[in-house]
Amino acid sequence: MQYALLIYEDESAFGPGKAGPKLQQVVGRHVEFTRDLGAKRVGGAGLKATSSATTVRTTKGKQSIHDGPFAESKEQLGGFYVIEAPDLDAAIAIARKVPLLEDGAIEVRPLLGPG
Amino acid sequence: MSGAALERVFRSASARIVGALAARLRDLATAEDAFSEACARALEDWSVGGVPGDPAAWLYQVAMRVALDGLRRRKTHARFESQLSAQFDAQPAPAEDSTAIPDERLRLIFICCHPAVRVDARAALTLRLVCGLSTLEIARAFLVSETTMAQRLTRAKSKIAEAGVPFEVPTAQFWPERLDSVLVTIEIAYAKAHEDAAGSGPHAHFAAEMLELTQTLVHLLPTEAEPAALAAMVRFAEGRRPARVDHTGLMIPLSEQDPQLWQRSLIDDGNGYLRRALAIDPHSPRVIQAQIHAAWCARTDLQEPPPWPAVLAFYDLLLSRRDDPVVRLNRVVAAAEVRGVESALCDLQELDQALFRDFAPYHAVRAELLRRAGRREAALQAYDEALAIIGSPAERHWLMRQKESLLMNDHP
Repeated sequence: MQYALLIYEDESAFGPGKAGPKLQQVVGRHVEFTRDLGAKRVGGAGLKATSSATTVRTTKGKQSIHDGPFAESKEQLGGFYVIEAPDLDAAIAIARKVPLLEDGAIEVRPLLGPG
Repeated sequence: MSGAALERVFRSASARIVGALAARLRDLATAEDAFSEACARALEDWSVGGVPGDPAAWLYQVAMRVALDGLRRRKTHARFESQLSAQFDAQPAPAEDSTAIPDERLRLIFICCHPAVRVDARAALTLRLVCGLSTLEIARAFLVSETTMAQRLTRAKSKIAEAGVPFEVPTAQFWPERLDSVLVTIEIAYAKAHEDAAGSGPHAHFAAEMLELTQTLVHLLPTEAEPAALAAMVRFAEGRRPARVDHTGLMIPLSEQDPQLWQRSLIDDGNGYLRRALAIDPHSPRVIQAQIHAAWCARTDLQEPPPWPAVLAFYDLLLSRRDDPVVRLNRVVAAAEVRGVESALCDLQELDQALFRDFAPYHAVRAELLRRAGRREAALQAYDEALAIIGSPAERHWLMRQKESLLMNDHP
């Protein structure tokens, strides 16, 4: 089996101007955690804040683009893809093609850059 | 040069310079800050040495230097910065001539109106960066504090940077949605000007900006029908402005406006843009909407019957192209004149009431129809519902008068 570990935290603690020993420590712990996992770690990345998110919502078969993260309604997180795209337009174009059974939403969130 | 004259120079140069800087620096905030700094230096320099022959070229040069110095100081983007510097230095002395500033306004408009930016922030950002309005002016128009508006603008710019909104004019595949987002943004910005019937409020000069912005857009996108249709609509609406309010500040409904007060030159311009749009695509929704405006503006005096049958036919055509609740409401108004009040009230009943709960024009239309149908109590209640949420003073004044006439008629 493979498992996804989805990290939920108060993102404001990671915002700009929050750099300091506390943040440094948690970054260090992530590095350590990754090392301990070794081959058990298949992939993973930090995400930029929800303020950088864009959501492609499908309602009654019609797609629309919204500023902001997925707003919880009747859908639940069901999966994820990590893609390479030159810019947001290209990422949205791919997000539009993600198969959905019925209505739903694809949140497009940039990954944190390396370092 | 006076302070106000300098202000005009800065404002008119703003879009060209911020657009050109943003396109090269790939960063809106840096481009905007550099331009502000260039304006501040201009105020000092020009008061001593006089205004240069080509102020825009001067501002562009200084802003570019400021931006590059800033990047250098931050010591990030080192490779990018050296590339930019090399490009910039290689240019044949453009300081004398602002025609050397690359025209990146279209890029700037598409970035500001990207669908991944919040809808209201798109309009604010366009007014700030493309039209050069101050944050305070935009804040007043959107009825929020300057701080709130500044935060909204900062958030939008940071979203654009963080999410990787491309600094390019979109390619063909993204065109329909992206252009629509640009047009909707301009409509929202213009609606802010139009709400204020007297044109004396904080949005007064928005209208002039919108005339210019729509003209620019048509110039940049000469083969698209909808920008030309929007340019036509803005001109038709502005042309009618002198007749929208009487000397007491009372709103005059369109069908009672004296066409002789309308500004013919603007209406003629509007007809020019409409002809252009019709030649490209007569069936696109905004072209049909512009034809409704044109039908009204074809009236030359109050003796002529209002063009209600034509207006109703255009609304039906428009709804067959794009269903929209506000269009349905406007259609009800035309239907009342052509098919009678009772039939229009039935049409109104079929609209989604919940959608219109906070939309004052809906309650105003309902009140008018009920009054004309002789349903006094229901009409009074509808007037009160409209009055509770109406914003514009001229329209409030008119609704009060309609309501009072109903009260007076009952007790002569």
